[in-house]
Amino acid sequence: MEFQAFKEIVIARAAALGITEYELYYQAGESTEAGAFQHEINEFSSARSGGVCFRCIAGGKMGYASTEELSREQAEAIVVRAADNAAVLESEEPAFLCEGGKTYEALALKPYALPETETLIRTVLDTQEKLYAADPAVVDGCQTEGFCERNEIAIYNSKGLDLHYENNLSGLFVVAVVSDGTEKSDDFQIKVGKLTEIDTEKLVKKAVTAALRKLGGDVAPTMVCPVVFNPDAMTALLATFSPLFSAENAQKGLSRLGDKEGTQIAAPAVTLVDDPFYPESPMPIPFDAEGVPAHRKNVIENGELKTLLYNLKTAAVAGKESTGNAAKSGYDAPVDVQPFTMYLAAGEYTEEELLQKAGNGVYINSLGGLHAGANPVSGDFSLQSAGFLIEDGKKTAPVKSFTVAGNFYDLLRKITAVGDHVELPNANGVTAFGAPSVLVEQLSIAGK
Amino acid sequence: MISREVCRRVLQRAASTGADYAELFAENTADHTIRMIANKVDSIQDTVIAGAAIRVYRGLRSVMASTVDTTEAGLLRCAEQAAEALGQGTAALDIVLKERLFGDIHPVRIVPVTASNREKAEILKAGYFAAREYSSEISQVSGMLLDVDHKILIANSEGLYAQDRQIRTRLIIRAVAEVNGENQTGVCSPGRRMGLEMFDSIDPRAVGVHAARQAVTMAGAGYCPAGVMPVAIENGFGGVIFHEACGHSLEASSVAYGLSQFTGKLGEKIANEKVTAIDDGTIPNAWGSINIDDEGTPAQKNVLIENGVLKSYLIDKFNGRRMGMPSTGSARRQSYGFVPTSRMTNTYIAPGEDRNEDIITSIEYGLYAKEMGGGSVNPTTGEFNFAVNEGYLIRNGKICEPVRGASLVGKGSEIIQNIDMVGTELDMGQGMCGSSSGSIPTNVGQPLIRVSSITVGGR
Repeated sequence: MEFQAFKEIVIARAAALGITEYELYYQAGESTEAGAFQHEINEFSSARSGGVCFRCIAGGKMGYASTEELSREQAEAIVVRAADNAAVLESEEPAFLCEGGKTYEALALKPYALPETETLIRTVLDTQEKLYAADPAVVDGCQTEGFCERNEIAIYNSKGLDLHYENNLSGLFVVAVVSDGTEKSDDFQIKVGKLTEIDTEKLVKKAVTAALRKLGGDVAPTMVCPVVFNPDAMTALLATFSPLFSAENAQKGLSRLGDKEGTQIAAPAVTLVDDPFYPESPMPIPFDAEGVPAHRKNVIENGELKTLLYNLKTAAVAGKESTGNAAKSGYDAPVDVQPFTMYLAAGEYTEEELLQKAGNGVYINSLGGLHAGANPVSGDFSLQSAGFLIEDGKKTAPVKSFTVAGNFYDLLRKITAVGDHVELPNANGVTAFGAPSVLVEQLSIAGK
Repeated sequence: MISREVCRRVLQRAASTGADYAELFAENTADHTIRMIANKVDSIQDTVIAGAAIRVYRGLRSVMASTVDTTEAGLLRCAEQAAEALGQGTAALDIVLKERLFGDIHPVRIVPVTASNREKAEILKAGYFAAREYSSEISQVSGMLLDVDHKILIANSEGLYAQDRQIRTRLIIRAVAEVNGENQTGVCSPGRRMGLEMFDSIDPRAVGVHAARQAVTMAGAGYCPAGVMPVAIENGFGGVIFHEACGHSLEASSVAYGLSQFTGKLGEKIANEKVTAIDDGTIPNAWGSINIDDEGTPAQKNVLIENGVLKSYLIDKFNGRRMGMPSTGSARRQSYGFVPTSRMTNTYIAPGEDRNEDIITSIEYGLYAKEMGGGSVNPTTGEFNFAVNEGYLIRNGKICEPVRGASLVGKGSEIIQNIDMVGTELDMGQGMCGSSSGSIPTNVGQPLIRVSSITVGGR
């Protein structure tokens, strides 16, 4: 059954049950992936996915029910289940659906044509050959994978909202494995964009160079010192701690920023932006998960917290307007708050200048175990790291298997200089994160 | 579910371009989560997951296509896609399906999906308010009661037609303690492959108290010192050290491709002789247990390491082809949309002979890791990390003050040599393990162990 037919049944069922305030959120997609190992395509998959979330306000509470099965039976069942689920809720916070008739900004990025399967396979094999050709140290185990996907979101509600969004996405990722005969190391790189426009030579070189640099590194010494995070590492930290900027978390006491709007929470060098229309974002989106128009905002400006991120409910609780940051972790999840494209704005220093300012310390280009070693409630982190020593303002010996530890709230105040080039390496669902390199004046390194 | 005859037609279509193996996996899952925060039942997530995936192999090539349309027409279209993607060839398989019943070694008494929201909310509230009322320092508590009713059907060209139903229940309580404007957290999250009768043996209030006690303890703690030192890791979720340092590197998904540091080491001594490690999917009602894996192979008890010697890998059918080895019942996937691969079930270090007090008194200066958090590993380099949720310093063989904010890092092949004392009391902890085939329930476990030397990431 198609979504339109399913929707008609839901609308009729809701009317029959006297449910007048409701929303249907539909998400569907098709994706194709091809992976190569040892010069051959070894895995290929194609998937069609999709589901509908029905939510309704009953007795002032928002009940949810979802299904991937688009059948008459399920269309009728989710209406009943959502109303049943609302009945057990106790939260006294207000429940909202977005009013229709709003104006939405047009997206610069239009859905582009996805590659044919043949092109996908050829690009993957070709990139795999380039990996083997890139350096004599490259060994079996290298993987190349290409993907393309079509995503679709529709929101329909009883207040006149009827929105639709489509995005196409393709890209390549490579894992370069290198060996010096005694030790192996690897590096993973991903590039999203039209397959024909991706510079595969550059992508491969980046992965192989990074993998080679990790060979032979020693454990860093235990010390307290200045740390330069490269864009990948800084982005990983930012993505991990981004829940601190959610008004939902702040109102629930899970972030310490609840009463900090309008105050200095970071060093003056720090400006943090959430821009759903950021030109380099692979997935710009004109509306949030409630259908509120998305828009650009500075979250931190020169160290001052300008605003937290709000959805309709948290904005009402705070007596503010939604910032268009309603988000769902899956089509079936309750509405929460998330940034769309959140990045630390560029500063004025080249990476060389950041290293010079650091003097002696550690340069970190890889962080691991962020889901475990970082606590987004306390802000504490202790993370597996890799990178280089900084000696007399220059990157010297590679180091690995050490940790960097600190507290994110504290780190924001200790960013003394920011690099001049923002990269956007991390995309997860509808959220993308980015950062330039940054210099943090002091963090703890645990190694040998 | 899908009839044997429809499965046969779909498999025959999938194998029409020369596949030497074809498989259909279908599921229908009811997934239910009640959440509480700020003393109120806040949301209910209630989802039906339904779809199917078809895989075909030819030699070392695998193709999968998945769909949400499980009508015969939808499945045949999906089979067609898989067959086309595999390429040119002629049909070589004559498929006859025989139903196989594997029974259920994980009996369920109260099917959660049939219990009312109110009944489940009462269980959650008992745990929630036990945490809330533990101390005036508890500033926030959040809680979740999750239940999953996962029905699967697997049919393949070897003639298998089998079904299984996996019911799981889990309670998660997270507490936040606030002291001097700083927040610290505590968590407790027991889960079982059983229904609501789980709470006959696990008191939800004890779960809440556990989380709150940890948050309050950590709120009063100083930072963990940094450096290399001996560490005693407690039983239960402490077993995450083996899961990360070694378990993932024994999965065929890295061994088959020569990526793992343990490739080609069967029969060799890779760990300290004190270490015997087992992956056992057959433990009745344990969180990571299965009856059959997601390729329809019955669950097994696999001894991975015996007295330090590598005995077995964790193998699925597809990667087993490359390795020339049979499946060990280790193929798992989060749902039909994920390509299944070799994964862990309930993985633990078997009990040894060292007394707990001897392990602690043997450490002059080091860390006692009472409760561990999650971790991760890169199987290619063996570098792993995991977090210490609740740690204490050991001085002169005595457990002293609590310390916070530490993680442990190292290289798997080195650290499993350093596990030089193993206690007698095995316990397990529950986690969700994330990898290429999605997020799946796994148990980790061990008795109290000593790691003679490891990097402690304090500050």
